[in-house]
Amino acid sequence: MTGSDGQPFRDPDGLPLEAAELSLQQLVLESPDIKAFLTELAILASTRLSGPGNTIHSGVTVLRHKRPQAVAASDAAARALDELQNGFGQGPCLTALRQGTTLLVPDLSAEDRWRPYIRTAAANGVSSILAVPLDLAGEAEAVLNLYSGRSNGFSGEDVATVESFAAQAASSLRLILRISQLREARNDLTAAMQSRTVIDMAVGAIMAQNRCDRDTAFSILTRASSTRNIKLRDVAATVITSISGEERITAYFDE
Amino acid sequence: MNADWTGDPDQLLEADEQRREVARRFRDTQVPMMKLWTYYYGLGGDADEMSFDAYLNEALHLPASQVGLIATAMRELSAGEDL
Repeated sequence: MTGSDGQPFRDPDGLPLEAAELSLQQLVLESPDIKAFLTELAILASTRLSGPGNTIHSGVTVLRHKRPQAVAASDAAARALDELQNGFGQGPCLTALRQGTTLLVPDLSAEDRWRPYIRTAAANGVSSILAVPLDLAGEAEAVLNLYSGRSNGFSGEDVATVESFAAQAASSLRLILRISQLREARNDLTAAMQSRTVIDMAVGAIMAQNRCDRDTAFSILTRASSTRNIKLRDVAATVITSISGEERITAYFDE
Repeated sequence: MNADWTGDPDQLLEADEQRREVARRFRDTQVPMMKLWTYYYGLGGDADEMSFDAYLNEALHLPASQVGLIATAMRELSAGEDL
């Protein structure tokens, strides 16, 4: 169904769309698979770029509810640095995340932007920072952050390497997100089938007992649910149990 | 916009008001449309996804019984939300 201008119905503020995106970001933050994947990415980036005398710390930050959250890191130092920046609410990695472009700070002592953060990071031994956003095609927002103890710790070649890393990781991540989303939708549908079966049976039972129509039976059930503050499905299950003694009603269907 | 309405005009105003309130609550929750529809379907809801989406965007009216189920679905789903 489309609106008069041929566009799908959407709130003018685009809020429903945003709500869907938020749930994907929630997925990035809560799925153990995705967390493990991002941790591996951080470790890989850090081992690949670290050289003698130049240890690279790497972390991943995800934006959720417009607030950044550090989700994975190669080591404790990187996580602490990510959290530090998120605490300040500003810094090169957050700017890279918001702009969607790679950002390199070759020398912290020569940087005038994001002063409070830069000063604290420098005091923690960081001299250069590289931030590369992961393009998740609007499904979530994430950035790969790399910290070096040396000024000019990242060569042009390093930047290209990390960018190609990030691009590959992002395409895998998009797939993981899609699969997780489908799996969740399937689980929701399974739960809905079970719930609908129980409620339909209870409605039928009330119709027979009260000799009423479906809408009336439904409103009896709904009223019982809201006055007792019990879920509709649970009230329905109680109705069935009280009539037949059956405890478990399940719907059978092929998955 | 209200071509689907066949009842009393006064009831239409009331239904419009109710629909505006439901739409507003939907925008305030973090629940995606499909998740809400699936839950509503699980409660015994009869409207398809298209009509459901249209209702939540204040573009279509649904029978009172369906509106009640949408409200129940929202209440039960947001009760389980840990946001």
